[in-house]
Amino acid sequence: MTRKTLLPAALLSATTLLVAPAAFADITLGAVIPLSGSNATPGEDQRRGIEIAVKEINDAGGVLGEPLKVIVEDSAGKPQTAIDAARKLVTVDQVPLVIGSYSSGITLPMGEYLVQEGIPHLNPASTSGLVRNIGDSSFSMVGLDNVSTEFAAKQVIANGWKNVAVLAVNNAFGQGVAQEFRKHLEAMGGTVKTSVLFTGGQPSYRRELQQLEATDPDAYVFTAYGTDAALIMQESFELGLQQDAPWYSILITMMNKDTAPEFKQGLTGMDVGYLGAGGEGYAATYEASYGETFLSAYGGYAHDAVLFAAKAIEMAGSTDKAALLAAIRTLGDEGFSGATGEIRLDANGQRMSQPYLKFKVEGNDLVQVD
Amino acid sequence: MSDFLIHVAAVSCLYGILALALNLQMGFSGLVNFGLIALFGCGSYGAAFAHLWGWPPLAGLALGLVLAALLGLFFARLGARMSEDYWGIATLSLAEIMRLVFTNEQALAGGAQGVSGLPVTFSTLAGQGAGLSRLALYAALLVAAFILCQRITRSGFGMALKMMREEPQLARALGYDLGRMRAIVMVISSLMAAVAGFLYAHYLSFVGPEQLMSHETFLIWSMVIIGGIANNWGVVAGAFLMQFALAYVPFVKDWLDLPTDFVAATRLVIVGGGILAFLIWRPKGLFPERIGGSHG
Repeated sequence: MTRKTLLPAALLSATTLLVAPAAFADITLGAVIPLSGSNATPGEDQRRGIEIAVKEINDAGGVLGEPLKVIVEDSAGKPQTAIDAARKLVTVDQVPLVIGSYSSGITLPMGEYLVQEGIPHLNPASTSGLVRNIGDSSFSMVGLDNVSTEFAAKQVIANGWKNVAVLAVNNAFGQGVAQEFRKHLEAMGGTVKTSVLFTGGQPSYRRELQQLEATDPDAYVFTAYGTDAALIMQESFELGLQQDAPWYSILITMMNKDTAPEFKQGLTGMDVGYLGAGGEGYAATYEASYGETFLSAYGGYAHDAVLFAAKAIEMAGSTDKAALLAAIRTLGDEGFSGATGEIRLDANGQRMSQPYLKFKVEGNDLVQVD
Repeated sequence: MSDFLIHVAAVSCLYGILALALNLQMGFSGLVNFGLIALFGCGSYGAAFAHLWGWPPLAGLALGLVLAALLGLFFARLGARMSEDYWGIATLSLAEIMRLVFTNEQALAGGAQGVSGLPVTFSTLAGQGAGLSRLALYAALLVAAFILCQRITRSGFGMALKMMREEPQLARALGYDLGRMRAIVMVISSLMAAVAGFLYAHYLSFVGPEQLMSHETFLIWSMVIIGGIANNWGVVAGAFLMQFALAYVPFVKDWLDLPTDFVAATRLVIVGGGILAFLIWRPKGLFPERIGGSHG
């Protein structure tokens, strides 16, 4: 019997020690982003954006005269882990605001938890239309799918591609993009000949690519994450699909870094504008700090989320939840200028206007086109 | 008691119920089920459907239980025709099929985007009341599941299950109807898993196909292996140990001021390394099975 009681007792004492709240005088915010799993690259980009923002704020004297700190937790790309992390931030670290996460399937349940607790939630990357309904205390620093796919559809039509084949990753994000893109393209007189949804992480996508090829489209429109997209581009090149019709990528920065130059010649696409007016300083700091250009388009949004939160806390004069929520709404109405341009929020707390950029690939780099 | 501790304890209770369910199948009856998460999914999607169709939550529970019982019977029936290892693979495939159907049938339950906004159990209670009430409910159900499992495994039926596990030919020769026994075990443990799934859905407020990934099944396997196969105390201890270990890794990071990447790596080591270490050095787990029936 002793062993039976020993273990729980040890566990209990260990956990009581661990949950003793840390005494920080600084203003501490929380962030939950993917630092492991298939989205670890954009997650790392978000982490860098947060780091730069914290440094900027502290160099300028902090928030309410106190140094700012952001506790970053890993979502591991799983809803349960992300919610565990959010709970830790809210109940143990007692942060007044949580930023996160990356994919919509995680942001939705995590945001709902935060809304139940009445904790302000800033979404820095998830674009599924469902994000709009998370709740009162949830705000988006990024424009949602309906806005981005409309932009992409306009471009596709402008290029003279009326009949297209769509390839998207089979998750909450990809399904949303495929649906919204079809709606916009058809409204503009185009046709989606087929929408193929693929499961990420496969060793080959030839079957999916042949399905697309069979419809003989004017262009291939796709959206995929890093390493999956690299394989898709390589195999479409090997199968000769790229000779028959042009490829167009929705959110092209998600995949560009991972794909070798020889497999993406002539590729064009769009992405959220990660630099608005006044964002050059952020880009310069980023390159100076990490010795490379942005890993994805989303670091800027995480960066702006931190700046936005800090400004709101300044306006509220404290980290009290009600005052902070009121300040976020006021700031959202007035508009806030970040590295990604002006952030204005609509009645649902979603970003109203969102800069998008057109890109083409040149060698390994993306070049912006007008 | 801190809110976070309450949260981790509450989730541990639900995983404890799942571990007991798996233990009843795998530990005592030798039914190597790799698809336990599908039975859990019956409960969580029962809750999701009730929410989508505007039913009261308890109707969702009833729906989940019916689905789980049917799926459990189907598993058991499959088992009648194939040997244990093939059956294990079949259960894994069925769970994957279920996940793929829910991912792709977007009209059914939101596809990959899942169903969100489910009402949270006891959310109307103020302050810590909600968390503590949930913990009390889950703990009470865990105790009930535990007593049920102890009763079953110590009864004559439990002895017959062990015989089915060890010497199926002998059990058959002695006149036991193995098909029927398998069906009974599957239905009971499926219902337990579905209750856990239903409560989990109304705790997380979100149901999506990503919750049905096979690695979730293996997390429960790790609890059973580390805690002690065929020992009801052991698997509950395993469930709590794993949940607490995984949930408290970020605190170690904060303490030692380590980068956040440390957390991901450590979690992998805990689950994967834990299973391996126990299989190699202590295959019977922390609390080994007690041989000898009713005086365990």
